[in-house]
Amino acid sequence: MRHRTAGSNTRGRLLLTGKHLLLLGLSALMIFPLVLTVSTALKSGHDVKVNPFGLFSSFSTENIVRAWTVGDFGSYVVNSFLLSVPSTLLVVVLSTMAGYAFARLPFAGRSLLFYLVVLGLLVPFFTYMIPLYFQLRSMGLLDSLLGVNLVLASTGLSFGTFFMRAFFSDLPVELDQAARLDGASEWQIFLKVMLPLVSSGIGALAVFTFLQNWNNFLVPLLYIPSGEYRPLTTGLYLFLGGRSIDIGPLAAGTLITILPVVVLFVAMQKQVTQGFLSGAVKG
Amino acid sequence: MTTGATAEAAAPEQEETPRRRRPWRTIKAGTPRVTRKAQARLGVFMVAPLVAMVAVFLLLPMVNAIYYVFVDFNGFDPDPPWIGFSNFTELAQDPDVWAAFKNNVIWIVIGTSAPIVFGLGLAVLVWNVRRGSVLYRIAFFLPFMLPQVAVGVVWGWIYEPSRGWLNRVLETVGLGSLAKGWLGDPDTALYAVLGTAIWATVGFVFVIFLSALRNVDVDLVDAARLDGANAFQRLRHIILPQIMPVFLMVTTITLLGGFSVFDIVFVMTGGGPAGATEVLGTYAYSSAFQLNRISYGTTLALVITVISIPFAVWMNRLQRKLSLQGMGA
Repeated sequence: MRHRTAGSNTRGRLLLTGKHLLLLGLSALMIFPLVLTVSTALKSGHDVKVNPFGLFSSFSTENIVRAWTVGDFGSYVVNSFLLSVPSTLLVVVLSTMAGYAFARLPFAGRSLLFYLVVLGLLVPFFTYMIPLYFQLRSMGLLDSLLGVNLVLASTGLSFGTFFMRAFFSDLPVELDQAARLDGASEWQIFLKVMLPLVSSGIGALAVFTFLQNWNNFLVPLLYIPSGEYRPLTTGLYLFLGGRSIDIGPLAAGTLITILPVVVLFVAMQKQVTQGFLSGAVKG
Repeated sequence: MTTGATAEAAAPEQEETPRRRRPWRTIKAGTPRVTRKAQARLGVFMVAPLVAMVAVFLLLPMVNAIYYVFVDFNGFDPDPPWIGFSNFTELAQDPDVWAAFKNNVIWIVIGTSAPIVFGLGLAVLVWNVRRGSVLYRIAFFLPFMLPQVAVGVVWGWIYEPSRGWLNRVLETVGLGSLAKGWLGDPDTALYAVLGTAIWATVGFVFVIFLSALRNVDVDLVDAARLDGANAFQRLRHIILPQIMPVFLMVTTITLLGGFSVFDIVFVMTGGGPAGATEVLGTYAYSSAFQLNRISYGTTLALVITVISIPFAVWMNRLQRKLSLQGMGA
């Protein structure tokens, strides 16, 4: 297939260069809104008033400082972590355990339970969000860290279980048979033999779930009505409603909201993409 | 079945792939009763916390949703009156519901086709690029990862009437007459929000197509090229048939997302101006939480789910049929 003359080779190289130029242009277009955010967030107060969207025409950290203190983004950051970290841990631990059981431990009623869990993948959160509000109210879980963490976790559990089950199913049967002959208990087989083999899956699930919870807007909007423990997403929305003319601090608040996402995604691009791919392909 | 199991046990060397997973029945036949009991006990123990969470935070509210639909609940009344199907009949006659539904349909059609066209185009472009493909993947996928509130804020500035970049670019290229307040004009608001959603979704479609393209037979594409097929013909007749199951899967996901769109509309326009961008999701939210019409909002949310189910089932069936054909070939 590769009988190419010198002439078509140069032509191929030119074509490739053109392709790269096109792709670079499109990439720049895609990340332009991010560039705009950084630029406006780092402007001086005067420059924001005169020329809010001119790119990098001045430099100052005053917007960041104002968003952090006056705009309360400092406490929103803390709340975002308080809502994302425990719920992510809960998803990872429960999904890994259940995924293992659904993949490798036969027990009565297993497939029925699995179908119930998968139901969570089919029914959007939207369908039951309103009754859930009143349920949480009567359980005393509205406006509480515990309640919102539990709800956030429950929105990720179905996917997590599905995801981890696929990893455990792919491991060879000979593994646990050998461990059993060596006298390992069922729990030891899970903990010492199987768990280390799916660590890449656990990593992908953790990053993916954390980002989902960090980005979640509807859950804190609905279930933290008083505003105690308000995270970055609803905090930014509140700021937008109250002071949309205050473009400088608003840009800084936006930057604070997206910065952890951008850093985590760029650092763990492979794991995040894997999470999405398997979620989409198997879901 | 037993013969199958013994045959496999008797001649394990004849297996083509030694690490192939054996059927479950084989495991059970070879597992002593003590082990099976221990496995069942541990299995129940490991599933229990998950099942408890799913029961309380998923199944219970779902059952409650069905109850809410048949009563008139205002959020406070502990014993709301039973009203049968009144919520449904009111819904069917509510012009605002139909207006919102129309916006959802527009959203589904444009918000599904545009990301698929752009995402597929980008994936084909990046397909055989070796150097820098990670860079492109990050640039294209990043928008999809961002919280939609932040996305809404920034795109609000891009659409801003006097100093926004969209109008500035239009003026620069001599189309200044088209400049307007994109989100404030009822004629353009929905499409402006859609534009933002498309920007955010393209990367998702792109990444999935790119990974599907890895399984496409490159020799076949080269052969078609030598036979004189142009780029579009190669895409249409050689590449697309091979990635059809993935194509349908992506379509299903984006299409279903179009039924329950909420965040981006809520943040960018809140359904306005004058209801121009109201979708079923924002309408259900405002009915329940701003007008205290809990039951009406719940009914609307339930209806959204119910009308989306046939699409999901149909797509899923088509996809399964196609991927089975793919395995046979």
